Amino acid sequence: MSHMANPLATPDQLFQRRSFGSLPIEFQDTVFFATQCLTQAAGLLLQLPQSVTAQANVLLARYWLVESMMSHEFGDVSAAIVYLTAKLSPHPRSPRDLANVYAYLLSPSTSLFHPPTAPPPPNNPSIYYLSEPAYQTFHTRLLALEAHILYTLSFNTHVALPHPLAITYLQALEFLGTQKEKIGKRAVAYLNTALLSPQMLYLTSQPNALAVAAVYNAARDVGAKMPECEWWEVFDVDREELGFLVVGMRSVEGWGAKIRGDLKGMMMGVGRGMVTRGHVEGELGRRGVKVGNGADVVDAEEEVARRMDEKMAEMEAGV
Amino acid sequence: MSILESNEAGAATSPRSFAIAHQRPRNSFVGCSRITDYEVLGKLGEGTFGEVHRARSKKTGALVALKKIIMHNEKDGFPITALREIKLLKLLSHNNILRLEDMAVEHPARSTDKRKKPIMYMVTPYMDHDLSGLLDNPSVHFTEPQIKCYMLQLLEGLRYLHENKILHRDMKAANLLINNKGILQIADFGLARHYEGEVPKAGRGGGDGRRDYTSLVVTRWYRPPELLMHLKRYTTAIDMWGVGCVFGEMLVGKPILAGESDGHQLEIIFDLCGTPTDENMPGWRSLPGAEALQPRPRQGNLSQRFREYGSGAVSLLRELLKLDWRGRVNAIDALQHPYFRTAPFPAKPHDLPSFEESHELDRRKFHDRRAALPPAPKGGTVGRGPQDGPNASFSSDGFSSRNGANGGRYPRNSRGPEERVPAWHRDRGLPPRPPPPAEGDHPDGYRDRGGGRPPRGGGGGGGRQDVDTYIPSYDRDAPRRDDRRRRDDRDDRRHDWDRRREFDDRARNSRTRSRSRSPVRDRDRDRDRDRDRDRERDLYRR
Repeated sequence: MSHMANPLATPDQLFQRRSFGSLPIEFQDTVFFATQCLTQAAGLLLQLPQSVTAQANVLLARYWLVESMMSHEFGDVSAAIVYLTAKLSPHPRSPRDLANVYAYLLSPSTSLFHPPTAPPPPNNPSIYYLSEPAYQTFHTRLLALEAHILYTLSFNTHVALPHPLAITYLQALEFLGTQKEKIGKRAVAYLNTALLSPQMLYLTSQPNALAVAAVYNAARDVGAKMPECEWWEVFDVDREELGFLVVGMRSVEGWGAKIRGDLKGMMMGVGRGMVTRGHVEGELGRRGVKVGNGADVVDAEEEVARRMDEKMAEMEAGV
Repeated sequence: MSILESNEAGAATSPRSFAIAHQRPRNSFVGCSRITDYEVLGKLGEGTFGEVHRARSKKTGALVALKKIIMHNEKDGFPITALREIKLLKLLSHNNILRLEDMAVEHPARSTDKRKKPIMYMVTPYMDHDLSGLLDNPSVHFTEPQIKCYMLQLLEGLRYLHENKILHRDMKAANLLINNKGILQIADFGLARHYEGEVPKAGRGGGDGRRDYTSLVVTRWYRPPELLMHLKRYTTAIDMWGVGCVFGEMLVGKPILAGESDGHQLEIIFDLCGTPTDENMPGWRSLPGAEALQPRPRQGNLSQRFREYGSGAVSLLRELLKLDWRGRVNAIDALQHPYFRTAPFPAKPHDLPSFEESHELDRRKFHDRRAALPPAPKGGTVGRGPQDGPNASFSSDGFSSRNGANGGRYPRNSRGPEERVPAWHRDRGLPPRPPPPAEGDHPDGYRDRGGGRPPRGGGGGGGRQDVDTYIPSYDRDAPRRDDRRRRDDRDDRRHDWDRRREFDDRARNSRTRSRSRSPVRDRDRDRDRDRDRDRERDLYRR
């Protein structure tokens, strides 16, 4: 049973997404980062264990590897993924809980994406009050997206996480002679941060490699003395992959700070909070890039489709 | 090493080439196939989630079975039981476990028709028979080498499952598929779940359970005594009891323990294996379902009943049908049983004769024992249509007060609504007990108030040990007595997720609108489904 392994992205898929996606790369990265952060925040408010939320992060990355980002609202995708992951876990959450949590996180009252230095936003519960019709439409979107996600993932919902492996490896290394908690926490922190990486490290490396890289980074941070030999080979990771992952994991922090800056730019004039498709389209328009085929073209297509439907109806009536 | 692998063509391959030959296809994220990738050839039967069709893959030309997933529950999205089955099957790879090859989607014929939802199918290799159907075929007679061959395969498959910490929970002849190459595969993981206890070890039987699960599993005729007495902390040994029942069924040619009710089931188990004592079933007295039992002491007639099949068979059967679940043989040890090492030796799968294919639908034409089959557990299996079958109108309310968790799901007998008294009540004339305190019953519907929810007990794994996560427990504010509505819920009694829908319904009733589930409404739903089915049949005919 492949409990320990994950399906990985093919180089072709990565290339396709980076090069032919409907969005410029920096937009893809920004949206990816923001939505992963949103997912984590929702996991906290829903009191899900990190093991569940982290799986949701991985599934989200898998989903966007195949599906275009602009085909659904980002917040909805995040909610549907969390719903699906929680349902499969021992900690299911009801659509109602999700609706409430996401209503709050997507409202201007949330402190998510709020600069830590600025004063917290005023808490105005009436903004994120969820009306019954709003809940019903959310519920409909949630279930539709759930089915769509399952279809897109080909029902590959199993996610093997590296977190337990990292701890096991640390135990095998006898915590490198340092304090257990300190180095363990640091390694887990690296693994959690890597979930947000636009390099999609969880789709390019197997859990054992991620675990080894996290252990390596944590050991460097706490100043632990690592074995002189090529110890990573014991855990079936080669030097090149380890090097790539170490750099990848270390770069997320600085990169995240930059993204937060970008986000602010994109959200200029639209308030704060989670980025939406509207924001992205607006920003693209400002830069003179259009998403989609242009309004008139779409209309012509619709016209043809309508005519064909009429034709069909006639033919069926004739029969 | 499976006995089958050794037969495969070609000598030992290197691990590397094996890995390459078995690696995940390059297009790992391409999503599901479409139904148009398959040429549908006809209906085979009805499984846990709905109909099963035979089809031919247009890509590979291979015959496959398409198992339709019925989307019952609009409120909770994709059925959790189906999701779990798919997730499990995708993780499993063994010669004696039915392989999930693909998922196929059928979109409604016209995309403008918003009312019609896409239909999902699970694609598995086509198997010619199920064991139950094969045994029903009067022209088929199993020889001893053949039985041994099937038993070895069954035990190999089960050993693999248990080793990987999976409880099947619906072991029975109808869930064992056999093809004309003599391969037996375990199918229908609709009730399976992850097992959290120790995996079985050689010489140690089933071991002790580590946590509680729902005891509402396994079709009655194959249900072990500890489940009938409501042991919740059960182990992999429950599947081994089922193997014993299947073994006996192969020897005799028909089910050996065909109880008419849960109480009767226990009685005939005692007839066969003897009454429980502290020696042969330690701790049985403390089981919740054993309190009222006063079985007439007897020895058990297993050896007389199976004498003609030889001492080896009797000895293995005795090991498998041990009342003591801790001492019951596990799959590892059963494979080493002398029965398989004495003449006549087990046949090789490819030496077995092939038979004319037998499926549920063929069998149904004859109205034979199908009429007496006990209902599968709710999450379980052997589907029949909503309208047919002897249990179509069973229900179990009226005495539901005895045990909220159990009353709802199983009929106490299958003779219709008039006689809805559990056998052990009838026998002993005990008055019904007061309802147990509903588990996880929160007096306030805090969920409805949106905002702050009280912290979950223990989060990670502490806290509510008694809750079986097999059924997600969203609506903890709804009491767990789900049997009140059962009467009307006849058509989908086999599905676990219905339980959840009922929770949901009730929770919803309490918070928004009142939605009664009148019989009329259900009849409408039946009719709807029938109509859908007709429509699909037409579609395939075209």
